[in-house]
Amino acid sequence: MMPANAIEGRHRETVNPMWQAVKDFFYGMTGYQFVHHAREMRHEAESIFLVVTLGDLVGIPVMPPVYALRLLPFVAPEIAAWKRQLARRKEFWEKEEYDLHGV
Amino acid sequence: MNALIAVILGAITVYLTYTRYARRIDRNVIQSDPKRATPATLYMDGVDFMPTNRNILFGYHFKSIAAAGPIVGAIVAATLWGWLPAMLWLIVGVAFMGWVSDYSAIVMSVRNEGHSLSAVAHRLVSPRTRTILFLFIFFYLLLVAGAFVGIMAQVMESQPRTHLGMILLVVMGLLLGQMLYRWRIGLVPATALTVGVTLAAIMMGGASEGFFKGLNEAFNSLTGGSPLVTYFDPTLANFKGADAKIMPSLLFWALAISLFCYAGSVLPIWRMAQPVVYVGFWITALAMLLGLGGAAVGTIIKPEVAQFQIPMFKGWNPQMGPAGVMPLWPMLFVTIACGAISGWHALFGSVGTARQIENEADMLPVGAGSMLAEFLLGMLALLAISVGAKGSPVAAFANGLGGFISVWGFPMEYAVSLAFAAFIVIVLVVTQLLFRVMRVTLTEWLGEIIPPLRNQHFSSFISIALAILLVMTGTWIYLWQLFGAANQLMAALSLLLVTIWLASVGKNWVYAGIPMILMYVTTVASVLVTAYNLYFNVYLPNLAAGRMLPTVGSGLMVLVAILLIFAAILIGIDGFRAFFKYLRRPTTMAQPATAPPL
Repeated sequence: MMPANAIEGRHRETVNPMWQAVKDFFYGMTGYQFVHHAREMRHEAESIFLVVTLGDLVGIPVMPPVYALRLLPFVAPEIAAWKRQLARRKEFWEKEEYDLHGV
Repeated sequence: MNALIAVILGAITVYLTYTRYARRIDRNVIQSDPKRATPATLYMDGVDFMPTNRNILFGYHFKSIAAAGPIVGAIVAATLWGWLPAMLWLIVGVAFMGWVSDYSAIVMSVRNEGHSLSAVAHRLVSPRTRTILFLFIFFYLLLVAGAFVGIMAQVMESQPRTHLGMILLVVMGLLLGQMLYRWRIGLVPATALTVGVTLAAIMMGGASEGFFKGLNEAFNSLTGGSPLVTYFDPTLANFKGADAKIMPSLLFWALAISLFCYAGSVLPIWRMAQPVVYVGFWITALAMLLGLGGAAVGTIIKPEVAQFQIPMFKGWNPQMGPAGVMPLWPMLFVTIACGAISGWHALFGSVGTARQIENEADMLPVGAGSMLAEFLLGMLALLAISVGAKGSPVAAFANGLGGFISVWGFPMEYAVSLAFAAFIVIVLVVTQLLFRVMRVTLTEWLGEIIPPLRNQHFSSFISIALAILLVMTGTWIYLWQLFGAANQLMAALSLLLVTIWLASVGKNWVYAGIPMILMYVTTVASVLVTAYNLYFNVYLPNLAAGRMLPTVGSGLMVLVAILLIFAAILIGIDGFRAFFKYLRRPTTMAQPATAPPL
């Protein structure tokens, strides 16, 4: 099966690049903020799920390892990013509110 | 002079700056390498670090940096000194400083594993720089919040035709949030409904004007037509100075705006702040697109709307007199901040945009391209005020922009309504976000020392109360200039960090270093001038007259000015010390850190 980004790439090649650029720019100004926020909300939910199920990876004994092992194959791709997120201390202006939209 | 020539000048500036200067710096100094991995690809987490197509990122970054700042600044500067100095500063500022600041902040963050400005400052300069940045950002937010609430209340009190549109904007914003996140309705139909209803309400503003005028009169009759507060404002009566009055209707609108901002501050961001910004964006974008196009073709189709009406140059210090001093240098360079150069762009670019850069070759079109596009917005605002020239500065702007929009066949009344609404919307949506950031800043800064500040309602209330206190000084122009100075000082700070970083990696730092010195000296001088004006022309007269509220408000502004100077000097000393250290001995700071990005 062809990966999603390859399909997207092929689609981009078929349309006028200039028109595609205008559409992308417009999307960046309008719908992208909602997509970004939806990603953040999903990420928060996933982060809590990982803490609850695989908290022992970061030193929180939350679940018998046998269940965690059964979940491991499904969440393995997310573990590195999740641990990095936990390790990263956020500055206050790095939260969603930092975007002042043009001041 | 006419609008078409100004549009052509703007286009030439953008073309020459991008192709002849910015691209050369990107190629020869920064040496951006499309094969080098960026933090977005190295640390992709699907949220903060996310490789994003350059055109999408360009739209995202542009929308995030361009709004009220370039419009208000151009209006005030053209009114004070004439259109020529304002236009020259916009052109020279963006060509040699503005894009440098925006682009370089992104580059520095990308080359330092996506670190924010404060994290880089902590590492390259000194730990206390980060603490000073806290102080800096809080007062920056306070000043801009005071300036925006002040101008909003004045415009809403004097323009009852705008009220219906603004009320519907808030209602439609709330509805949009509900439709998108709860009812799962698609973005396109939700946008069509909410933006359509808001636009219709704006256009029908004239029909509701009588009702809101009556409401204002009813409020004013509560005190028998006498003002709540009287204060001396040296900028009134063409800068000869006069007593200004705060009527109950103005206080009502200031409180109504505060209530709206309070809701935007404490509600979840998807519930109110974000969808209101989105609906507002469409209103403003529509007005600006029609206006920019109208400015370009108006000279041919409808020449009477495209001729400049205001004086070209009003003098080097046109407001000398009882109002104090308003010298072109340094005051022009802080009156127009965004549009020429802005510190907030650098802060946002380093944490918001840099972590989504997919390829180093995208840094230039996203960083410099967005700043140059914002410059065009500033030019449009300048054109609108230059051809308007009727009524107050904001009214003149709306008349000018309305004239450009009317080129496309819209009746003048509707075109002016749309232009007024565009101005108010753009300021209003930013103001609610300001209080949100202020609330977070206050909690982070003082929450440990004063535990009640951790409560979001209390910290929002304190933020709004402080801003209202500044509004009550009444001297709006000084407040705006103090905000501009804080913004430009932040730009100087970001350029200082870039200069230090370039020196630390053994690269040519001159392209950032010279603008940094110019901005640093200019902004410190402008804060001194504003503090002088505030103390001698607002604080002392109001103190002598025994007017407590404006005395406290202007005293607070003088205090903020002193703190800004103090912070700038400390950062300057630390920064220059670090710069000379790295200049003598470029170090391994050039190498990316191995620790996860802070």
